[in-house]
Amino acid sequence: MKYLVKKLATLILTLFLVSVLAFLAFQIIPGDVVTSILGTEATPEQAQQLREELGLNKPPLVRYISWAGNVLKGNFGNSYRYSKNMNQMMPVSELIGDKLPVTLSLAFLSMIFIAVIAIPLGVFWARSKNRVLDVILNVGTQTAMAVPSFFLGVLVTYFFGILLRWFSPGRYVSYEKDFWGFVGYLIFPAISVAIPKIAMTARFLRNSMLTEMHADYVRTAYSKGATERQVAYGHVLRNAMMPVVTFLGMIIAEIVAGSIVVEQVFGLPGIGKLLISSISTRDFPVVEILILYITFVVIVVYFLVDVLYRVIDPRISTK
Amino acid sequence: MIRVKNLSVAFDGPEVVKNVSFEIGDGEILGVVGESGSGKSVTALTMMGLVSEGARVTSGEIYYDEELLLKAGTPRDNALYREYLGRKMSMVFQEPMTSLNPTMKVGKQVEEVLSLHEAAIEETQRESTVPSGSAVQSDVKCGEKVPGKKRKQYRERKEARKQKVLEALSSVGLKDVERVYELYPHQLSGGMRQRVMIAMAVILHPGLIVADEPTTALDVTVQNQIIELLKKINQEQNNSLLFITHDLNLARRLCDRILVMQNGCIVEEGITEEIFQNPRGEYTRKLISAVPGRTGKKKKLRKEIGKALVEVRDLSVFYRENANSLFGRTEKKCVVRNADFSVYEGEILGLVGESGCGKTTLSKAILGLNKMITGEVTHHSNAPQMVFQDPYSSLNPSKTVGWLLQEPLRAQGALDPSKAMTEAESRAEAIEMLKRVGLEEKYFDRKPSQLSGGQRQRISIGQALITRPGLVIADEPVSALDVTIQAQILELIRRLQEELGTAFLFISHDINVIYQVSDRIMVMRDGRILEIGETCEVFEHPKDPYTRELLR
Repeated sequence: MKYLVKKLATLILTLFLVSVLAFLAFQIIPGDVVTSILGTEATPEQAQQLREELGLNKPPLVRYISWAGNVLKGNFGNSYRYSKNMNQMMPVSELIGDKLPVTLSLAFLSMIFIAVIAIPLGVFWARSKNRVLDVILNVGTQTAMAVPSFFLGVLVTYFFGILLRWFSPGRYVSYEKDFWGFVGYLIFPAISVAIPKIAMTARFLRNSMLTEMHADYVRTAYSKGATERQVAYGHVLRNAMMPVVTFLGMIIAEIVAGSIVVEQVFGLPGIGKLLISSISTRDFPVVEILILYITFVVIVVYFLVDVLYRVIDPRISTK
Repeated sequence: MIRVKNLSVAFDGPEVVKNVSFEIGDGEILGVVGESGSGKSVTALTMMGLVSEGARVTSGEIYYDEELLLKAGTPRDNALYREYLGRKMSMVFQEPMTSLNPTMKVGKQVEEVLSLHEAAIEETQRESTVPSGSAVQSDVKCGEKVPGKKRKQYRERKEARKQKVLEALSSVGLKDVERVYELYPHQLSGGMRQRVMIAMAVILHPGLIVADEPTTALDVTVQNQIIELLKKINQEQNNSLLFITHDLNLARRLCDRILVMQNGCIVEEGITEEIFQNPRGEYTRKLISAVPGRTGKKKKLRKEIGKALVEVRDLSVFYRENANSLFGRTEKKCVVRNADFSVYEGEILGLVGESGCGKTTLSKAILGLNKMITGEVTHHSNAPQMVFQDPYSSLNPSKTVGWLLQEPLRAQGALDPSKAMTEAESRAEAIEMLKRVGLEEKYFDRKPSQLSGGQRQRISIGQALITRPGLVIADEPVSALDVTIQAQILELIRRLQEELGTAFLFISHDINVIYQVSDRIMVMRDGRILEIGETCEVFEHPKDPYTRELLR
């Protein structure tokens, strides 16, 4: 209970600090939203009018307070750039709400790939005593980790899209129209996201398992007459997962915040793509909310990692 | 029961076990005694097929009931070993803390032995009880017809396993076994954990149990209980026990026969009492004489009482304990209660007690390292120094011995310019101290990693004494050392105390060590000083029941 309250307080405090920083950052960054919207041709009167419309003539503190107040009420404001129809700008919540399912589905699919492939692979690698296999896995994972993600995206597109024709590159299927078509299309960007992470996680798990295999309790398990396989899955894996869980948490946080490059390569209308375009067009309301969203996700994921820690290792909760 | 013939084992380098042969009879307790590195553990682990992959058996054979388990030159038959381990032979390890899986309930860990061997045991039972096999067949058919039955059978079997685990847990003296079953290792005390380990080892009534230093990590009183338990199991189940220890006293209490090992060889073998009465080998004689006993030469060592160096008056030491509830205040926990004593000039005051009784906390408070205290500590001498338990981790590995010895002098000079020394002076001091602690000058430029444990502890003692303090606090200074080394270090401390007149507060959990070295002793338990007095006086007429228990 105390633990939960503490975590919640940390979450709120962090969100507050990040919101202040995000807000401040746009006061400092050079460039003017008004010029960027109207272009350089605009008259000073036009500019002044827009400024007043957007509330930019007020002092920063007042603007921050009114903005923060609105955010707390659930009103995230309107985008400066995207319009909903002729005479109304797009609300940020709608804009993000539209892209969020894409990014979250991509993250979810990638995590499934990572969990389902990396964990058995790591255990298998740790148990394998075959030198050749070891070298192959070593070089393979090293390569997978080193290849830049955009290139990996291109490779996946080429291989699955052009050679095998399993999907049509660039023809994104919206989840609203055809959910399964959407999932089918997402599999390939998810593979691109997952491959380097699978390599990292498998390596990490392998090393963790190898260290753990020297522990005294492993010898005890053998002394009961357990097979190597029983020891690896029944005893070592759970203890070796401790550091891996932290690592997986970092990965989740990273993916949920939007895999910018992969979204770009596969033409996915996700959070990462939105973030890039709104930064370049100085669409502050959108960027600020996205920053808060990412912060929120990261903290929540770390909280879950912490909870998972306690589930895996009973020693932590009592300390 | 077990026969080991000409066994030699090597890792990368030379053989660590050389041509070892011995037998263990049915129901016999065989002790293997030796110092660290003598090859006793490697022998046992090889026997059990648990030695690491890097080890090679270079010669010899191992038989279990005339069945060949292991032969040099042929790879270890892991499948055969799996059949034997847990069921026909089992092992109890030294560290009950790390030898249990920290993320698994202890009940499940004991139960694992049962589930691993369930199929094999059932098969043998079936063979012996149902010779025709017709009943078995009908049973299988039923199972096929009614799928629910299989599940029921499974549940029954699980229940039966749990019942058996609970029985085993209570047979090793654990109380409230239903609750213990559900606990994780860290929720048990060291003694309880070792009982769980023993329950695991005996649950299938194996013919042989190997216990590798099973009591070394435990407190004295718990140690006694575990020894009694092993004895009881041996009598009840009539299985053979191979008991590995560095502690001759323990071996003497428990074992029928003893092997003495040194550098991988068996140097002596015989009936326990015979070995203790007239040891043949020189090494055995040395080992026996090195054991700090409570017999012999204890003369009245104290001269006249000097003046008090440290006076401790009504000292209580606290620790902050974090509150469990959200709004609860952090509470102070009292670790040492109302300690009241003095250390006098030129004496060795022994402080004895079990782990967690507050010995170290008390010594830290005396040195001023613990600020949360009530009461008074008055020093009448210059800054007291300290010698720590582990000579491996308490010396900076990147500095030379000379540098380490000069360090206190430099610190002293920095604090008090009148005592500052030139490099040459402090070097001379350091070399003199090096000789005093029994090391040659050539060690001056060595690093701690090039020294043995005993040599390192000599350096630690030299470091403590080089500023000529009136008082040195030595916290378990010999607990990490082998018996023969231990005897040498105790000898050194006594000699230095006489030469330099330094007073020692000597902390140990080992009452025999305390007896050997101290003029007066102080017995501590749960933060309280129970008894304080002249060594002979306390040993001959212990007042407190706990002291009597310790002296048993």
